Amino acid sequence: MLNYNNVLKDELNHNGLSIREISPVMKLNLRGKRREFFTTVGKNLNMLLPTEANTSSVSDKLTSIWLSPDEWMIVSNETVQKDSNRYELEESLYNNISKTNLGAVTDVTDQFVLLELKGENIFELFASGSPFNFNEFREKKGSATQTLLNNIDVIIHHKDKNLISLFVRRSFSQHLCSWINDSASRL
Amino acid sequence: MFLINCPYCGERDQHEFKAGGEAHIERPKQPTELSDDEWAEYLFMRKNIKGVQFERWNHAHGCRKWFNMVRDTSNDEIKLIYKMGEKPPSE
Repeated sequence: MLNYNNVLKDELNHNGLSIREISPVMKLNLRGKRREFFTTVGKNLNMLLPTEANTSSVSDKLTSIWLSPDEWMIVSNETVQKDSNRYELEESLYNNISKTNLGAVTDVTDQFVLLELKGENIFELFASGSPFNFNEFREKKGSATQTLLNNIDVIIHHKDKNLISLFVRRSFSQHLCSWINDSASRL
Repeated sequence: MFLINCPYCGERDQHEFKAGGEAHIERPKQPTELSDDEWAEYLFMRKNIKGVQFERWNHAHGCRKWFNMVRDTSNDEIKLIYKMGEKPPSE
């Protein structure tokens, strides 16, 4: 994690909805489609990548989110050390996947900001700014989607009941947080 | 506003997609042998018909995959969606 300022200095609280930034968390982007890619990733991560659309899979240390048929995001469940940008997992994936031309591994730790939203009316907040239909999504723990929120590209992961992980690109994060702050206060 | 059934992600709102123009336009095999008029025909001229049209679309704010769509441009009715590389249905 490079020396970035946090987008949210303090937790936001509005109408039973709380929003906080979680950092630093390791985030890796994986791309590949060959069978060897899946087996190599499975061995390195100790978990299978989700192949069903709009889903995720979780192990003790990692969460992998389906982004497209040949793209996944790997996120560490715990925060990592702030003073280093090197991860063992990234190195082993890079050596076994990128170097062997099975696929691509990209460190997106600093590119994405992770916001955690907690509360009963998260989906009311999303409904006020997203064209995505959350009816099925809210019923299914582990579901994940890429969509728009206030016209900003986001990745939304349904971690648990009333608990959402929201990934947004760093350059849009301040703007999105301002919108969330304003929109949540009107729920 | 209409819904588009992305072949990878499922049904999504139109705002998540970008239209990519007419589909199934084949690049000339020998571009250097074409006249200027033939090259312009390939590069710029599109049917743009009122009625059933074959189009390319991109799920820009989702999986970022391209796919083909058969759409009636007069009423936005989507007749068929199929993946890139698949053969178009006979008209």
